[in-house]
Amino acid sequence: MIARKVKNKIMIGLIGLLAIVSAAPLFAIIASIYVNGARIISPRFLVDFPPPPLGGSDGGIGPALVGTLILMALSILIGGGLGLFTGIFLSEYGHHILSHYTRLSLQIMVEFPTVIIGLFAYAVLVLPLRSFNAFAGAFALAIVIIPYVALQVREAYASIPYSLKEAAYSLGVSPFVVNLRILLSVARRGVATALLVGLARAAGETAPLLFTILGTTLSYFEGLDKPIGAVPLLIYNFALSPYERWHEVAWGAAAVLLTIILALFIVTRSLVKEVKL
Amino acid sequence: MRWAVDVRNLNVWYGLKHVLKNVSLRIPRNMVFAIMGPSGCGKSTLLRAMNRLLELNPLAKVEGEVWINGVNIYSDEVDPMDARRLAGMVFQVPNPFPHLSIYENVALGPKLNGIVRSKKELDELVEWALRKAYLWDEVKDELKKPAARLSGGQQQRLCIARTLALKPKIILMDEPTANLDPVAASKIEELMLELKEDYTVVIVTHNPQQAARVSDYVAFLYMGEVIEVGETSNVFTTPKHELTEKYVVGKMG
Repeated sequence: MIARKVKNKIMIGLIGLLAIVSAAPLFAIIASIYVNGARIISPRFLVDFPPPPLGGSDGGIGPALVGTLILMALSILIGGGLGLFTGIFLSEYGHHILSHYTRLSLQIMVEFPTVIIGLFAYAVLVLPLRSFNAFAGAFALAIVIIPYVALQVREAYASIPYSLKEAAYSLGVSPFVVNLRILLSVARRGVATALLVGLARAAGETAPLLFTILGTTLSYFEGLDKPIGAVPLLIYNFALSPYERWHEVAWGAAAVLLTIILALFIVTRSLVKEVKL
Repeated sequence: MRWAVDVRNLNVWYGLKHVLKNVSLRIPRNMVFAIMGPSGCGKSTLLRAMNRLLELNPLAKVEGEVWINGVNIYSDEVDPMDARRLAGMVFQVPNPFPHLSIYENVALGPKLNGIVRSKKELDELVEWALRKAYLWDEVKDELKKPAARLSGGQQQRLCIARTLALKPKIILMDEPTANLDPVAASKIEELMLELKEDYTVVIVTHNPQQAARVSDYVAFLYMGEVIEVGETSNVFTTPKHELTEKYVVGKMG
């Protein structure tokens, strides 16, 4: 009797320990980034140009931050939109052969190394234009986003009870209206989460940007056909540099990026209420 | 145009399974018509063939004709959406849209179909439908409340109001009381008798007593075939077929 209770206690303790071990990296990462990044962050840090490697002021990440916001907006507009409609198509015509192959392709795309997607964008949008450009970056990010959004939207729609789909169709409206005007709001939390994951990826991905946007840190947005900066790329470049000052900027930039992603997560979670079925 | 519903040689398959076999039925206007039979006999399928909701099932294949109000809803000119407006449907599990308020649940159909021209007209239509469904007095002060907070019976009457708001010609009910308590169920039954003044009501039930209570005409369906059709009083007192007799006296599922 006592042996059984002791065994139970030990097992619960073990499981608790494992849970802590697997969640620990999350908190370790957040802590280390904010501890190292906090010193340099100020309102000016968000708008200033980066500092020279030696001497001068602290500087900031203004152009890269604006670049990231533009890239996020563009890629979620293209990739999120396409992903949303693809996901709805997959749920509405799930039995169609085309739907089967679309889903298979998306599942393969999710596993694609993003650096390859960057190379692809380089081949189709950078080489022909003979210039690194913002649109190529957004294009590459959109391709990264599409499969995530599409598959998650499909999941969100699949979780709607069949009886509600029947109710929607019995109102005598087209599949388009059923899916976009009725079922979309039933599945809103899942869809919002899908778009959020897409947006967070757009904010954080580095590899698709390597060959596409050049990552200028010296000027603000100049047009979609011109190079543009991005926070992840700035972190990558500055962290690899030999300059102490740039390392600090990289830490600060990492803290800003993390804040964007956490804020997106929290805001979406709290604003979009779940539909109780 | 004599018949509200005229089903002619209807055959339905789910994949290779032949679920409705040569069904022909005529349903007169302003009556409650019950389709009864043991589970799995094809009742719900037959009902869903009457407004083409069956087509949501990609495996379903339909052959034959269903005339609603003089229109063959399976002819090439008819869109499934039109068929669904002609024949509104109430389901086995009350299924109001859980994210919408009581008001919006009724207003959604007319809004999406462009039936109303102004907010005032919509308000009037919603009130009319809720009154017609015997729900108005219970909810008139809380129209903004989420529909999910209503009781099961109220939710089902809300679904009836949602259907009425589209001004259908006939109302299809798929075991509308199967998930309700007896009091709520008897309210729905009363409502059916009221509704037949203006509509034709087709109800599917697995309960012969309910068919006897509410219907004027009844069809007995068994393994996808119509075994017997007739006036309810005749079918229950002098069934012509042995299977019908077994069913109505409760000797069969």
